[in-house]
Amino acid sequence: MKTYKTNNSENYDIALKLEVLAREKESTRRKLVITAKELALTAKEKEKARQKLVIIARQLAVAAREKERTRRKLEVTARALKKLHETLEKKVLERTEDIERIRSKNEAILASIGDGLVVVDKGGKITYLNRSFEEMLGWNTKEIIGKSMVQVVPREDQNGIKVSFKERILTQVLSGQKFVADLTNPFYYVRKDKSRFPTSSIVAPVVLGGEIVGAVEVFRDITKEKEIDKAKTEFVSLASHQLRTPLSTVNWYSEMLLAGDAGRVTPNQKKYLEEIYRGNQRMVDLVNTLLDVSRIELGTFIAESKPTNIIELVQDVIKEYSQQIDKKKIKFSSVFGKNIPLIQVDPKLIGMAVQNILSNAVKYTPTGKKIGVSILLDGKNILLEISDTGYGIPKEQQSKIFTKLFRADNVVGKDTVGTGLGLYIAKSVLEQANGKIWFISEENKGTTFFVNLPIGKHKK
Amino acid sequence: MKKPIIKKKIILVIEDERPLLQVVNSRLKKKGFEIISARSVDQVFDSGLKKKGLNIITASSIKQALEYLENLERIDAIWLDHNLFGKENGLDLVKKLKANGGRWNKIPIFVVSNTESNKTIKSYSDLGISKYYVKSNHKLDDIIKEIKLTLDGSIF
Repeated sequence: MKTYKTNNSENYDIALKLEVLAREKESTRRKLVITAKELALTAKEKEKARQKLVIIARQLAVAAREKERTRRKLEVTARALKKLHETLEKKVLERTEDIERIRSKNEAILASIGDGLVVVDKGGKITYLNRSFEEMLGWNTKEIIGKSMVQVVPREDQNGIKVSFKERILTQVLSGQKFVADLTNPFYYVRKDKSRFPTSSIVAPVVLGGEIVGAVEVFRDITKEKEIDKAKTEFVSLASHQLRTPLSTVNWYSEMLLAGDAGRVTPNQKKYLEEIYRGNQRMVDLVNTLLDVSRIELGTFIAESKPTNIIELVQDVIKEYSQQIDKKKIKFSSVFGKNIPLIQVDPKLIGMAVQNILSNAVKYTPTGKKIGVSILLDGKNILLEISDTGYGIPKEQQSKIFTKLFRADNVVGKDTVGTGLGLYIAKSVLEQANGKIWFISEENKGTTFFVNLPIGKHKK
Repeated sequence: MKKPIIKKKIILVIEDERPLLQVVNSRLKKKGFEIISARSVDQVFDSGLKKKGLNIITASSIKQALEYLENLERIDAIWLDHNLFGKENGLDLVKKLKANGGRWNKIPIFVVSNTESNKTIKSYSDLGISKYYVKSNHKLDDIIKEIKLTLDGSIF
């Protein structure tokens, strides 16, 4: 600072003022500097911000482009979806028509089934019945849909006694019980008009997802079948009675003559009468055998199976022939295995078969020869062997042995009688019991018959 | 010493075939039985009355018929054929007798028939009879012997 010696206070005032000004200028300059620095900073920040904005602007531009691309894609997708939707609608319509067609077809099939068909829900209420049901029972669908099948259609036995709700097959099947059909008892369904007809019906549960949701029953009117069965049984019964009555008359009158009921008979008369009696007995045997054959062929032979001790059965048959065996001085031997289980067979029928085989052995074995019987366990079967050292069966005739009325030539000549039906009956009976019969034989050496009976269940 | 009077056993024989009825009656008589015979179920209820020479009074019920028989005859056994004259057969007779209970239930019934139907035999055995014979399979004397054995062992 210049410091002038000026005249006095004027210059001092000016100098002071200049200093103040200078100081203000400096201060302002400093302020300006600060402001300039601040401005510079602000400018830098502004530049940074501007640059950021530029970047953001670019990003926005990219985003906008993406958005546009996406928008176009969406447009395409939307169009495709619309088309798909139209196609789907068309397909659904077609499928619905198909299903409707199939449903109508099924309905037509169900409706036309000759047998009666009824579907019930879990509670036993009718949900569907077909035309045959309506025709057989006289009810209209509208009248009974939704009602309890067991109540609408009573089931009766032969004597008109109603089957209770609990005992109805439908009830049992719906409650998950395994139903075992009683085939021997005829059952009847009662129509709307209270008349009835014999029925054969099958009930099965409808299972969905492991649960019983209802049941289906199919039933048939078996009046015709029962009539045919009745006619068959009556024919056999009538034939047996008509054939046997005159035979009984000859039987008993010869017996009474021989007993001297009509006066004393001379030894010669006795001989003649005995021949009459014997001849008549042959007729009786033949008629009995023919009746058995006709029962087998007409299927009216109903097997009544029960647990049977086969050894006892065979021993009983042997007992019947013991007299003849002794008379012919035949050496008889038997071997019965241990632990032979009881088998489920009809003892009458199997007894008949065994009797026919044993009777042949006794008949066709000459005096002094041997007969042997053995019963052994053979795996899942019982094996019965009846062997003899008798006349045997000629090789060329062995294939016909089981045919009706066949008797081999070598025995027809000998002093024996037979119907030729015994083995046919034995074979039929044994095969019905799921068994087998076969033999080995050599003429003049002997024959052995084998019978196989399974221990398990048998077909009816 | 007075000989004990042995009452003869009375058998009711019901058989439709005349020759068979005759030979059975004749043999049974020879073997010491008394016979009442009939060839149909209706005749069974008439027979007792006929024998006594009474007019046939039509019984208005089986019960009444049995009452008549009850008073007139004591029957020890019945020889019954299955096929008979008239509409009813042996089974119908057995049903009627059993339905009336009392002593009619206890009389041994021997069915001697040529019918061999399992169903028929079962029906008889269900109702309760002594034995079922297939006529042509047995000697007459054998059947009579068995009837005698049964009666001798019974309380009649």
